[in-house]
Amino acid sequence: MARRRQELGAKQSQQATPRAAEPAAKPEKPKPEKAKPSKPAPAGGVGWSLWTRLLVSLLVSGHMLAVFVAPWSLMTADALPPNFRLFDDQGNPVAPPPESSREWQKPIVVDWLSSKLTHYQNLVFINHGYEFFAPDPAGTHIMRYRVTRPDGQVVEGTFPDRKTHRPRLFYHRHMMLSEQTAGHGPSSGQNYADHLATVHGGESEVELVFHGLLPPYRVLEETPLDARSTYRVLASLQGKPRVAKTPPVELPPTQPQGAPR
Amino acid sequence: MISAARGTRGYIAEVWDAWNRFWFTPADPATLSLIRLLAGSLLLYTHAVWSLDLWAFLGPEGWWPVEFLRNTVHVSRLEDGTLEPVWSTWSVFFWIDQPWQLWSVHVLALLVFTCLMLGFFTRTAAFLGYLLAISYAQRVTPGAFFGLDKTNCLLVMYLMLGPCGARYSVDRLRRMRKGHTDDPPASVSANVAIRLMQLHLCVVYLFSGIAKLEGENWQAGTAVWWAVANLEYQSLDMTWMAGWPVLVAVMTHVTVFWELFYCCLVWNRHCRPVVLLIAFGVHGGIALCMGMITFGLAMIYANLSFVSPQAVRKYCDPLAARIARVFT
Repeated sequence: MARRRQELGAKQSQQATPRAAEPAAKPEKPKPEKAKPSKPAPAGGVGWSLWTRLLVSLLVSGHMLAVFVAPWSLMTADALPPNFRLFDDQGNPVAPPPESSREWQKPIVVDWLSSKLTHYQNLVFINHGYEFFAPDPAGTHIMRYRVTRPDGQVVEGTFPDRKTHRPRLFYHRHMMLSEQTAGHGPSSGQNYADHLATVHGGESEVELVFHGLLPPYRVLEETPLDARSTYRVLASLQGKPRVAKTPPVELPPTQPQGAPR
Repeated sequence: MISAARGTRGYIAEVWDAWNRFWFTPADPATLSLIRLLAGSLLLYTHAVWSLDLWAFLGPEGWWPVEFLRNTVHVSRLEDGTLEPVWSTWSVFFWIDQPWQLWSVHVLALLVFTCLMLGFFTRTAAFLGYLLAISYAQRVTPGAFFGLDKTNCLLVMYLMLGPCGARYSVDRLRRMRKGHTDDPPASVSANVAIRLMQLHLCVVYLFSGIAKLEGENWQAGTAVWWAVANLEYQSLDMTWMAGWPVLVAVMTHVTVFWELFYCCLVWNRHCRPVVLLIAFGVHGGIALCMGMITFGLAMIYANLSFVSPQAVRKYCDPLAARIARVFT
């Protein structure tokens, strides 16, 4: 085994030894003044002193633990025991016990780890999960707005809107605005209403709309993805201008159209 | 008993050797340098896009006012039930309240990302770029952030740990002009940076796969349909897949199993090309069909951490040499 390790070490040392320089310099250039041979890899193919390696090992282990715990903690939740009855004898659903009840089982290991690592995760921005299109891809949320200015002029619009939000990343940022409102309740939607009222200098009405998805058979029946039946208004909010730090913008020459209703 | 103790000691020594080889074998910085070039250009573009409505997204009174974030979102609940702002969730933009300040920081950030892309004062640019990328991401979280911001920060966090400007950079050209034409040395920190990037990517895919296991549509093999049938995401009409349920099911199941087992299979040299090919397919598909070009590219760049420096040099050195001949 030791021999195999030596062989491996030698092989890696060979691999790690730099190759010839990129054939980049002109031939007529003067000879390099400070050119030195590349440092070969240390014997055994491993660099740095033992103490440096020990310290870095501790740091990378701690960091990787924090990287692992962040999505893990977001994925775990308090749970009720398997014998908890979700329905009574008549089949009616039973309300879950209050948050303080001892019925709830806590994920104690991940909670403890998370409590110790949370500030580090925040500082280096690894405080998130990676639930891309999980647990299931769902429909999207759209914001429709209408701002009425004191002089009676009206600004209407929708976000996201492919026609006005370009390039695609800018469109996607607006899509995230409406998506993430849905997850944070009406108070965050109120911010949008107030922001639009401030920017356009009037009173705003904002609708949070859910755009549902069509199953394959409906598409095969040639139902369009933006069929009227796929849109549902979830909430309506009114906004007033904040004490503005920026002057209201001039009305655009053509008013953007809303999403299909 | 003695043989058991010897066996244990031998095992521990073997593990320590393997650990050292994994983390501390000096590596050619070619892969790290290529990722810097690509990620730097992506960071520059994705942050330049904020310029289109900087005040609304990042200003103190924008879509998500800073005060609202600090008082209701970035808070922790104390034992007595009161809410307290979390000090460790930070962003430069939390302390900015004038347009000129905002634009100054933004222009500085774009300059830093330009330096990172070109490899000009690279280590400094990478460090500042990391702090700035976090600032943008934290300011729009929640609000307008998505996977792109996570991956941008992931890339630049590890780039700053290694000599990411050793190749394919202005710094390299400057060294060559001064006569330092020797090859950049193999570097332990380059290896540590690449290893961290690889492991982080494994965690990303593992938890993304586990989260999908909870989804009924991922289990049923229909999730890919629901993703392509989303009009708001759609950039290429893939609704013809409605007539190809088997294709949808295979793509759905392959995605889940690939994400779940990425963290194991990518380390095996025989499996790695297949695993990376699927990664390029999945993220390329998301980029082309679902309009998330920048996110798709960011994930592909992160996957390049599994490409060997030798392979990178084989394809990049000839082009780098041509460019170097022009400038030296």
